[in-house]
Amino acid sequence: MKTLTADVVVIGSGPSGLSAAAQASEDGAKVVVFEKANVSGGAANMGMGPLGIGTKHQQDMMVDIDVKSAFKEFMEYTHWRSDARMVKKYFENSADTIKWLEESCGVEFAGAYKYFPKSHETWHIVAVNGGIGRNGGAIMNKHIREYAEENGTEFLMETPAKKIVKSDDGKICAVIGTDASGEEVRCDCKAVVIATGGCGDNPQMIKERTGYEFQKNMFNFAIPGLKGDGIKMAAEAGAGTTPMNVEMMYILPNSDAGPDCIPAVFMQPNLLVNKLGQRFIDEEQMQNTTFTGNAISFQKDAIAFSIIDSKIAKYYMKKGVDVVNFVHHPDDVADFAEAVDNSIANDNPDVVKADTIEELAEKLGVDAEALQDTIDEYNDMCETGDNLFYKPSKYMRPIEKAPFYAAKFRPGAYGTLGGIKINEDAQVLTQEWEKVPGLFAAGTDTCTIYGDSYMFLMPGNTMGYCINTGRFAGSSAAEYAQED
Amino acid sequence: MSEAKEVTLVIDGVTIKTTSDTTILDAALANGIYIPHLCSHENLHPEGSCRMCVVGIEGVDGVVTSCTEKCKDGMVVNTKDETAEKIRKLSCDFMFKTHPSECTGCPKFGKCQLASISQYVGDTGRKLKANPINCKEDTTNPIILHEMHRCILCGRCVRVCNEVRGVGVLKFKKVNGRQKVVIDGENLKKGGCRFCTACVEVCPTGSIREYKEIEDARLGKTREEGFVPCRSECPAHVNVPEYIRFINQGNYAAANAVIREKVPFPHALGYICVHNCESACKHHYLNEAVSIRNLKRFAAEHDDGEWKKLAFHKPATGKKIAVIGGGPAGLTVAYYGAKLGHSITIFEAQEKLGGQMRYGIPGYRLPREVVDDEVQTVLEAGDVEVKNNTKVENAPELLKQGYDAVFVSLGTHVGARLPLPGNDLEGVKVNTDFLRDFENGTAEVGEHVVVLGGGNVAIDCTGAAFRLGAKTVDMACLEAYDAMTASDEERSWAEEEGVVLHNSKTFPEIKGENGHCTGVLIQSVGNFRKENGRMVFDKLEGTEEILEADTVIFATGQRPSIPMEEEKFGLALTHGNYVAAQGPDGETSVEGIWAAGDCVTGTRSVIAAIAAARDSIIAIDKYLGGEGNIEEALAPKQFRDPHLGKVENFGDKERTAPRVVPAPKRVAEYKTAGPMDYGFDEEMARCEASRCLQCDLRCDLAPQKFWNDYQGKEKAE
Repeated sequence: MKTLTADVVVIGSGPSGLSAAAQASEDGAKVVVFEKANVSGGAANMGMGPLGIGTKHQQDMMVDIDVKSAFKEFMEYTHWRSDARMVKKYFENSADTIKWLEESCGVEFAGAYKYFPKSHETWHIVAVNGGIGRNGGAIMNKHIREYAEENGTEFLMETPAKKIVKSDDGKICAVIGTDASGEEVRCDCKAVVIATGGCGDNPQMIKERTGYEFQKNMFNFAIPGLKGDGIKMAAEAGAGTTPMNVEMMYILPNSDAGPDCIPAVFMQPNLLVNKLGQRFIDEEQMQNTTFTGNAISFQKDAIAFSIIDSKIAKYYMKKGVDVVNFVHHPDDVADFAEAVDNSIANDNPDVVKADTIEELAEKLGVDAEALQDTIDEYNDMCETGDNLFYKPSKYMRPIEKAPFYAAKFRPGAYGTLGGIKINEDAQVLTQEWEKVPGLFAAGTDTCTIYGDSYMFLMPGNTMGYCINTGRFAGSSAAEYAQED
Repeated sequence: MSEAKEVTLVIDGVTIKTTSDTTILDAALANGIYIPHLCSHENLHPEGSCRMCVVGIEGVDGVVTSCTEKCKDGMVVNTKDETAEKIRKLSCDFMFKTHPSECTGCPKFGKCQLASISQYVGDTGRKLKANPINCKEDTTNPIILHEMHRCILCGRCVRVCNEVRGVGVLKFKKVNGRQKVVIDGENLKKGGCRFCTACVEVCPTGSIREYKEIEDARLGKTREEGFVPCRSECPAHVNVPEYIRFINQGNYAAANAVIREKVPFPHALGYICVHNCESACKHHYLNEAVSIRNLKRFAAEHDDGEWKKLAFHKPATGKKIAVIGGGPAGLTVAYYGAKLGHSITIFEAQEKLGGQMRYGIPGYRLPREVVDDEVQTVLEAGDVEVKNNTKVENAPELLKQGYDAVFVSLGTHVGARLPLPGNDLEGVKVNTDFLRDFENGTAEVGEHVVVLGGGNVAIDCTGAAFRLGAKTVDMACLEAYDAMTASDEERSWAEEEGVVLHNSKTFPEIKGENGHCTGVLIQSVGNFRKENGRMVFDKLEGTEEILEADTVIFATGQRPSIPMEEEKFGLALTHGNYVAAQGPDGETSVEGIWAAGDCVTGTRSVIAAIAAARDSIIAIDKYLGGEGNIEEALAPKQFRDPHLGKVENFGDKERTAPRVVPAPKRVAEYKTAGPMDYGFDEEMARCEASRCLQCDLRCDLAPQKFWNDYQGKEKAE
């Protein structure tokens, strides 16, 4: 067995764990990080940047948002089913965190942006090659890690933590893990920060804790390694549990690797129907992935079909799409028709093409007559206005010309939220709200601030919560570990 | 070729001494200076095609690829050269031109070298118009899954398959004007793939992988354990691929020596091992597992004794170990204990040593000369005394008699007679007594025998019954056919010999007349469920049936011969009268006493007993002041040839059947003829050994490294 000693052990090196390690080591603690994977950054390596409120970037870009207005809107949105003290502290610190990322860690931001037209400019996009690119999260994570290392943090890669050890007096005293060669590693310590990113890759735990069934009514990103380790270890160490939820959105489950134009076109505000062939949403909401995910989740078999005709397709291929967002913003979608044919040839079950509405209905498993009725009614409303859900008339384009295209959307999620009970200092609490001495937790393992639905109107929220609570946990843990 | 000279160069301001045959990349990495590299791999010839590893050299125009450029004296290298950094970013962009822009859904996420490099280079691509490779996943091949839409054409798979393995089942080919990695042939099997998975090991992205089931089975294991399942699933971790390779090389005695390194009974195991190795063998994804047990037997048949010259023998320690029970576990402790220099006394309740190898497993399956020979080797290992026909009543008493340590391994030799009406009628027997009598030549059966139970011991009882002249043998058990604990192989022998199976039956009563059994009432069961932790079931009305029987044999479990009262034997007990032993080495409730084998675990297997006993003797030796080291290298060093070569339809080679004597002959002539199974001859063994996938070769390939693997090193400078 290999043995090490530290003041603070951090479990996990996504943005929460990295920030906790960087903050704790900046505060003078000796930090050791246990990480399961070979690459630091966790799920956030797919992300683009964190939330900030009241930052220099927002000031420069003349964005009118401050902590007070954001806090009020957030609490209204969540109906106060949220830890208001945590939300307040998180928002209040978010601008300083952006500054810390820039000045201490060396992260460069391209600016503060919306995710989609109806959202706020809270999303601080990490610059890629000096401008806007994708997966800047990976670059940010590298900078935080390097800053933590400069401060003396030691990283143990491919070394999953297995157990948090308590001494006889109930205080945290060590973390035990196993390294890539199979050797046990024990790090004696005074405090532990858990930041393992939830249980997105553990269908059984998702079912037990959220009720969703993976690949039945929930097609979340099963990011390899997110098994709920931290949530389990915390519970074993005496932590209280919180309700768990997912960060709801909607997706085409089999189109990750395909060309971007397919999701981009089918996410446009055209006709969206359920298995009964009925509309169920004002499709303008399709830009809000949370709301649309919620709505699809509510439908029979948790599935929805986005339908366009050749005329709409041709229009997009020529002129570009109506609504773009940060993730789906192809320069053009001219290759849409070809991409659909390729997808179908490659057995992508999400995408369908048909020469008649009847054939389309059959391929989608929807009652043909009901679908025809819906389309007839919809086409009429394209002239008179949507008197069912009041969608703006600029998005009302009739479904008339063959071939018809459809895509099958499902509820998805980035991962899970919540599990470990903490206070606003990221101190882990028991079920009776007592502190578990020396145990801290951050990030999605603890995130219950959204109540029932992800607060998508302020994008960058989850990464923002992770980095900020990571810093809270890091400074609380360092302070605790360095007390006498 | 000129000889390598010592050179001194400077990389990023760090002075490095190396030799002139070292590349700049290797010199930098060895000194904790990371240069991104992708097409370069420790086991492959440098190619310099990915342009990731470019560096600037003072006095040299432009940049050079550090994976191909050798170090020269006085060289000054700048890995962060401005042009080099630009080229790296551009190379990254080119890779992402074809690679999916989203990582979601990729099982390699978190362990992807491309993601790590793009994180390091600080360029996540997508500036160039995406031009994805348009192809669907290929799940038509066994073991190896292709999702080539993620391929970045680094060519490592093609090179490892050609250069290192000499197989060449992967190649570059232009398809519709696009360069792709494709299979050279209709599919992997037809293309001559050896399924060594080197391609999986070197793939930096999620393009070539093994199926989820295979990869999941490796979670939490080390590379060595995970890549070589036959070896890691063997309780004693016998180095299976190594001895199979020796058979392939024609060095059969060396193969035996490899087995000897971990177990003292290679020959007996060659006949009767439960072979967890075969259950784990990856060849079953192609057709059937390699017939490992028969190869072991073949190797053991070619023992030339040379290994004895290399075996360790420590000087006498003056310490005394008492071993209670001379079965596989007790003999293993005696063997290694004696070699470690301790004086061993084996207390054996029966007349002869061997335990279940002699008194449980019938002689037609395991010839007694094999057991005798291997027991003899144990007795010759050092100072070993045997007290046969001696039952130990109290274990701690032996400590008082002057033994420094005691090892308890008295097995499970008392058969369970289930509490049902008629269980004490004449003609009703229990498995353990019956098989012991069979061994001693005193067993008798009537014409119609019913064996109750569904495990391997029950199968042995049916075989013994036929050989004793039974006209009919029926076997009834609770388990359904597919859920029987007997192995498929052993059950098929019983079926060949004529056993009639009655699955999913309960047996509420043994019928009798005049004090002698006449039949067994059986009844179908259904609706198995758990209630309060116990399995319960419903009896199905109207399914009652009587099996005619003048002999009934209970083969429904067996227990140790230890009294239920703890104070009698002197050790804490568990689950009735099993010895309570803790940890892998089997510490009991009394200091100085260890226990292992069936009397701790319940009836398992010879190999499990040996493995547990090895752990116990290590602990005992340490307790007695030794180092607890029983490792020994008995086989010559093996040349592990990474070159496999292309073999068309290699994956379809069928499992070699051993020379089993036909059922009527083996039953009729069991007393005069040899064993029921003659194993492999040389040709069969060579043929079977050639089927091995040599999964262990993958361990020789360098594990993938990431930029952060070099960080700590840099700090240490």
